[in-house]
Amino acid sequence: MTGRRTGRALLAGGLLLTLLTAGCGVRPSAVIIGRPPISGRAQGTWLYLLAQGELVLVLRPAPTDPSPAAALALLAAGPQENERDQGFTSDVPAGLGPVTVTEGTGQSGDLTVRTDAAAHVLSAHAVDQIICTAVAAAAQVSAANTATTVTVVGPDGARGPRACPMR
Amino acid sequence: MTLWRRIGARVSGLRVRLVLAFALLGVTTTVAVASGSYFQARTVILQQAQDAAVMSLTEQLTKIYPIAQLPPTQDDLELLAQRLSDRESFAVVVYRDLRAQGGSEAADPLTPELRQKVRDGRIAWQRVSLAGEPALLIGTQLALDRPDGTSRPSGVEVYSVRNLVPEQQSIDRLATRAWLTGGLSLVLAVLLALLSARGVLRPVRDLGRAARRLGEGDLTTRLRVRGADELADVARTFNDTAGTLERQVGELRRLESDARRFVADVSHELRTPLAAMTAVTDVLDEEAEHLPGDAGRAARLVSQETQNLTHLVNDLIEISRFDSGTARLALDDVDVAAAVTATLRIRGWLDRVRTELPPGVVARLDPRRLDVIVANLVGNAFRHGAEPVSVRLGADPDWVTVEVADRGPGLDPEVLPHVFDRLYKADTARTRSEGSGLGLAISWENARLHRHGERRGSLVAGNGAHGGAVFTLRLPRDTADTGGAR
Repeated sequence: MTGRRTGRALLAGGLLLTLLTAGCGVRPSAVIIGRPPISGRAQGTWLYLLAQGELVLVLRPAPTDPSPAAALALLAAGPQENERDQGFTSDVPAGLGPVTVTEGTGQSGDLTVRTDAAAHVLSAHAVDQIICTAVAAAAQVSAANTATTVTVVGPDGARGPRACPMR
Repeated sequence: MTLWRRIGARVSGLRVRLVLAFALLGVTTTVAVASGSYFQARTVILQQAQDAAVMSLTEQLTKIYPIAQLPPTQDDLELLAQRLSDRESFAVVVYRDLRAQGGSEAADPLTPELRQKVRDGRIAWQRVSLAGEPALLIGTQLALDRPDGTSRPSGVEVYSVRNLVPEQQSIDRLATRAWLTGGLSLVLAVLLALLSARGVLRPVRDLGRAARRLGEGDLTTRLRVRGADELADVARTFNDTAGTLERQVGELRRLESDARRFVADVSHELRTPLAAMTAVTDVLDEEAEHLPGDAGRAARLVSQETQNLTHLVNDLIEISRFDSGTARLALDDVDVAAAVTATLRIRGWLDRVRTELPPGVVARLDPRRLDVIVANLVGNAFRHGAEPVSVRLGADPDWVTVEVADRGPGLDPEVLPHVFDRLYKADTARTRSEGSGLGLAISWENARLHRHGERRGSLVAGNGAHGGAVFTLRLPRDTADTGGAR
């Protein structure tokens, strides 16, 4: 009888204590996840360079010519000084251009990039850079989207068609 | 010891238990309600603060667009961090290896798990403790719209570190208020408990008091019946019981007093014929010597028994005076040693009794009753005990003590409690004795008649260390006349 009463008293006391010590004030929390990040307009040409072996988006200001060919020409010119300072590189050879970009008839507007440089000597990174830059530029002027595939055609053959690995 | 027991009784008492139960109930309810509302309010406050902070950051960030250049320079990041910092918060902007912090020199507040979530492409926030103060970290990447409506992370991560001290303060105020409410409700609960305990305990206390009075002999005690609850039932039962008891005790008393009055009446009625008979036996006594044989013996026997009967009737009348409370003391300042000596001399016992009577002990008492007591005790000692019989007088400022001892076989322990009973015969075989059987009872009543305040005369029977019965008479030295109160 006494034991049970003591037990009950202990239980009640424990409950009370738990409630009291469950925290006053503001306690640290785990990470709370909200909606996707805000997004806004980008002004300029989208280029894809390499940093530590990854494709990285770079914005070049104020394009005078928004066509994919012009964007690929900028890509072939390599990183600018400030970009190099931050460790950006490019695998696309300077001798890539001039290129012609033709839009296919498919619904997603598949692209073909024709170059005078040998397509097969291009590294996988270089091909990805070309594809992603071409798609991004084409998107500004046509209906190209992330599903659009690109074929890189050189005098020695073709690479692709592939879509940009960066969605 | 007693104090502790009393405190223990108080602690485990009904009042304390009631108060404790009420207090516990009040506290539990208050804690449940107060803590529930406290936690809810805290959640609401924090959520509002967080949502507002996220909203404000998002709003500020939309003003940054359009973005014209990637990668940003360190200067770009510094500028952005400055623009996003204000009084309540400061910003940290990260792009790959570049990092800019605006407004505060504090160490890097960002947690790895938050950065991971932000890099994964969500707005994320987390409450942390920065230098002991609560803070809210909000992080997001800047994303870029694609023409097809999708967006693409730019790699620029913006974090806003916002101080939560104002929220902490309002939450603390809430807590203070909750404690205050709890305390007040506890006080209220205790007050209510005391009030209701009073309501319950008063009848119980009354009942206890009445029961004690009843136990002390006040049979007229009654309780006032209030209300119609269980306690009122108890009070009613108590009253019924007390009523029955009073009736029955009254009946018994009436029967007893009837019996006593009957004895007294009979004794009185016997006196007149006895007086006549005594006169006749006096004549018979004179003539007995001249009467031959059996007639003479018969005459002497009648004379003897008539004397005994007269004694018995006188003793009965005396006893009935005690019983009816009409016995009165005739107080006088008496030299006790002289009085005892006189008693012994009148009865011719002075030579046979060893006396130890220090002179000069003067006490205020009834000399006739002292004479009756001493004569009875000494007579008994001769009759039932064995010589030598001794009488010793002692005195102190409050008491006078007369001790009568003999060297006989002493009193049987079985007899001892009944020595002063009326008509009690120690030796059942000896049904007839010279005494009336009332002598010691009368002596006892005589001793008790002497009283002064709380002190009351007594007569005690016992056995001496060397055998023999010892009767000790103790009388207050300055008896006051209080009448025949028993």
